[in-house]
Amino acid sequence: MKRAATPHIAEMSGPASLPRRSGELVFHAPWERRVFAMAVALCEQGFYTWDEFRERLIAAIAAGERRAQQDPTQRAPSYYESWLAAFERLLVDKGIL
Amino acid sequence: MSSEHGHVPHRGRPDPRTEQHLTPEQIQALEARVKALEAVLVAKGIVSPATLDELASIYEHDIGPMNGAKVVARAWVDPAYKQRLLTNATAAIAELGFGGLQGEHMVVVENTPTVHNVVVCTLCSCYPWPVLGLPPTWYKSAPYRSRVVIDPRGVLREFGLELPESVEVRVWDSSAELRYMVLPERPAGTEQLSEAELAALVTRDALIGVAKVNVKSDRA
Repeated sequence: MKRAATPHIAEMSGPASLPRRSGELVFHAPWERRVFAMAVALCEQGFYTWDEFRERLIAAIAAGERRAQQDPTQRAPSYYESWLAAFERLLVDKGIL
Repeated sequence: MSSEHGHVPHRGRPDPRTEQHLTPEQIQALEARVKALEAVLVAKGIVSPATLDELASIYEHDIGPMNGAKVVARAWVDPAYKQRLLTNATAAIAELGFGGLQGEHMVVVENTPTVHNVVVCTLCSCYPWPVLGLPPTWYKSAPYRSRVVIDPRGVLREFGLELPESVEVRVWDSSAELRYMVLPERPAGTEQLSEAELAALVTRDALIGVAKVNVKSDRA
């Protein structure tokens, strides 16, 4: 396992950029931290490239916003809810789940 | 965090994308989903709970300004180290075990009562990763990169740092060849603090030069 953070993960821009406060990562709950680490860990082990994850993350965020716009009773998912959805999707796509 | 408008994006504010008010039931459901995923991946031998924790810690802490803070605290308590740091920052930082990728060719510039230093990368977003951690979003924003050169005092004021006219402001432009870090002034009233306690006072913003190091309010 790598000992240092990877710039192309940490420096994602746009809607996929990691939530931070004063530059540091912000996790509001342990599950956010766990699912963050799982997605990074599997990428580091070569199960997928970071771009493959990032594409699904961006798609999940956009889909969540679309659902919330179409149906006012639905709230847009938080960043790590979209992250979780993207990770599950990628695991299925890669035949890991 | 749009970089189109003229102001440097505010820092220190939580990202609204994470500010979701979930019900306890929704939180439980999310926790269960993540736990189930982890259980599957652990059972397949793909991950271990310990490595996940370690990985998250790397991103949380190593990318924070912690390494730079330790360098500053050492320089505050050890004048000989400070001298080495100002003469050959790369070597002095390596003494503490930091450096490597994007941490080479470091230059440390010292704040004094009459000189305040601030770092930018006007060309792209060169940043000494291993020492300062994740670059903040505003560091890469077009307004910060262009305006801090033209109007450093105005930009610093937006960060809440008002400097007297008597203080000279020096702006340092980082590049792939040279990466700058600010050695902030040691705040008054910290004579009794240990090196580790001093390091805890040093913020990322102070290492870039958009803030001073303050004694934390709960201490004052």
